[in-house]
Amino acid sequence: MTLRLNEVALFLNGAPLLKSFSLEVAAGEIVSIMGPSGSGKSALLSFIGGDLPPAITATGSVWLNGADLAAAPPERRGIARLFQDDLLFPHMTVAENLLFAVPRATQAERQSRVKDALQQADLAGFENRPPHTLSGGQRARVALLRALLSRPAAILLDEPFGKLDQTLREAMRAFTFGHIRTRNIPALLVTHDREDVPAGGRVLHILPGGDIRHV
Amino acid sequence: MRRLAALPLAGLFLLPLLLSLALVLPGLTDAAAVRALLVHPQFSGALGLTLLTGLASTALSLICALVIIFASGGAGLARRAGLFLALPHLSMAIGLAFLIMPAGLLARLVAVFAGLMAPPQWLTTQDPWGVSLTAALVLKETPFLVWAFASLLNRDDLRAALQGQAAAARSLGHGPASTFLRITLPQLLPQVKGPLIAVLAYGLSVVDMALVIGPTQPPTLAQLLWTDINDADPATAARGAAGVLLLTVLAGVVIAAAAGMVHLVQPLWRRFCAGAPRVGAVRPQHAAWLWSAWSALHVVLVLVMILQSLAARWPFPLFLPEAWTLKAWLQIAGDARPLLTSFALAVATAAAAVLACVAWFETQPQKADVIPAIPAILTLCLPSLLWALGQYRLFLALGITGTWAALFFAHALPVFAYAFLFLRGPYRAFDPRWQQAAAGLKAGRWRTLFQVKLPLLKAPLLATAAVGFAVSVAQFVPAQLAAAGRHATLPMEAVTLSAGGNRPLIAAYGLALMALPLMAFTLAGLLGRPRWRPS
Repeated sequence: MTLRLNEVALFLNGAPLLKSFSLEVAAGEIVSIMGPSGSGKSALLSFIGGDLPPAITATGSVWLNGADLAAAPPERRGIARLFQDDLLFPHMTVAENLLFAVPRATQAERQSRVKDALQQADLAGFENRPPHTLSGGQRARVALLRALLSRPAAILLDEPFGKLDQTLREAMRAFTFGHIRTRNIPALLVTHDREDVPAGGRVLHILPGGDIRHV
Repeated sequence: MRRLAALPLAGLFLLPLLLSLALVLPGLTDAAAVRALLVHPQFSGALGLTLLTGLASTALSLICALVIIFASGGAGLARRAGLFLALPHLSMAIGLAFLIMPAGLLARLVAVFAGLMAPPQWLTTQDPWGVSLTAALVLKETPFLVWAFASLLNRDDLRAALQGQAAAARSLGHGPASTFLRITLPQLLPQVKGPLIAVLAYGLSVVDMALVIGPTQPPTLAQLLWTDINDADPATAARGAAGVLLLTVLAGVVIAAAAGMVHLVQPLWRRFCAGAPRVGAVRPQHAAWLWSAWSALHVVLVLVMILQSLAARWPFPLFLPEAWTLKAWLQIAGDARPLLTSFALAVATAAAAVLACVAWFETQPQKADVIPAIPAILTLCLPSLLWALGQYRLFLALGITGTWAALFFAHALPVFAYAFLFLRGPYRAFDPRWQQAAAGLKAGRWRTLFQVKLPLLKAPLLATAAVGFAVSVAQFVPAQLAAAGRHATLPMEAVTLSAGGNRPLIAAYGLALMALPLMAFTLAGLLGRPRWRPS
């Protein structure tokens, strides 16, 4: 499984935002993209995920496992995303949030997958809790579980640790990276915090003016 | 001073409403009148029709509104929906009746293809099942619900949250329709409970539209009661009054039953929401035609009324009249009293309502807003027959039926209710720092109000006045009762005429009725433009 960006460039209202670059992320690899806010990091993830805001246009192509994603709407791309906010659906319990992501199967099968996931994340017994009763760290874990339960072929992380306490961040990074490596799917992480970059991982820097520097 | 400023709203709205309700509510104890109603030969048929048209129109309006919101994402709908809201429902009913009647434009269109030479024998207006009444109600209520949803989605916090959640749902494999039904809808619906209740109550108790386009043998319950109330025989009038209370109770029971149903299906609904990802084939673009069709239909209705108002002779199946006439319009211009009466009452009540509301908001703490808000919501959710009948009894007791004062109060009640609810949001959301800044520049209270606050609130103030104006122009039931035959307004004339056969005049009245609020909204829009738009 690989995620490949081929000569991707972004434009904000027609003006260059990100200059053309290519990138290949291997299965199980987590590539980080760093840059100041407004540099187009999040827009890049939106482009890959398939829901670019109207003000931004893009050229180039995104390939996942050898297929061009250009024509695919977000729901057909098989690319899960974690956002800056956990975006747990407030009208659903924890279990319902997770069931929402589990692909079609018998009800018992889907339930058991949710139960297993919660157990792995030390959240057993949280099934019927509404999201707002969870701590920030618990919510972040549920959001990651939900993304992974949809069996994505790749995952995009948009500053997922930015809103967590300093003390929680380290644990959440380990939890997140561990799960992604176990799944063996390619991942792109967008951040402005050096600490977020996994040890030994590749980093792309967005420079002022939209140039990209590989490190 | 502070207390005094609350008086206009209390004296012109709260007090008359409470007195009216106090005068009408004891009627339920009149056992003889209730019995007389229950044995009325048309009672059960009318009851069935009321339930059928009320429930069907509410359900269909909700479905149409949801499809329109799904198609557009809710952005930028509020304006156009607001414009549709300004169009009097009575005009819609008249236009629709002209469109679908056996010799209407629709039948002429069919005749071209089917080769008919005589109007088809279909029973389209005033059909015994209330289908045409239901259609007219859907035409009126859908934009109201669209407006309710769109105003919710205009709230930045809510829209941002829902958009984020929708993006998350899509990335988890849910298509647009699945995302809308499972994520957006369940969070929006509980917040439009109020508007839905108002729609249901209106559908169950509407009188004027039913008189124009509703079934007659039997009529709906509201029509039946309207005839009774206007009867000279005291026993019959008492039967009508008891029926109005029964209708109110019925509306309450239906709303409670609907709430119970919602509660019962909750577990199923939750299970549906947590369903597995479904890509689906339905895209918002597939539904976009509905809102366009809505606009197109309104244009068609206006055109039909214009043609009809100018037609001297219009034999079937011609598309255009064979001979034209200005007689109907000359007649309206010749006796302009209904037009002027409607106009004067609308200006007076709208101005009074805006002034009273501003006086209230300026002097009363925000938490006191519930005191007028609850009666205002009540006014919209109770059958207008109920409070109008109470008002009528109040006017009788005071000996002022048929006077301008009675007409003013009759129109003011719903105008104040709408104006208060409409202005409350923007007025209370006003950033107090502007006032603090002005005070820092040594501007006094009055100068701050007139030179800073009111100019900044110009657009919502004018919009409120236009809404009040439109609400006043549209009143039929309270106006007819208060006028006691001594005055006529546009809706009163239109309803009276619709029982006869003078089609050009009916159409002209339908258009005149529509022209007034359109004028008010255009004016409010023009005057309410900001001096410049920050880029």
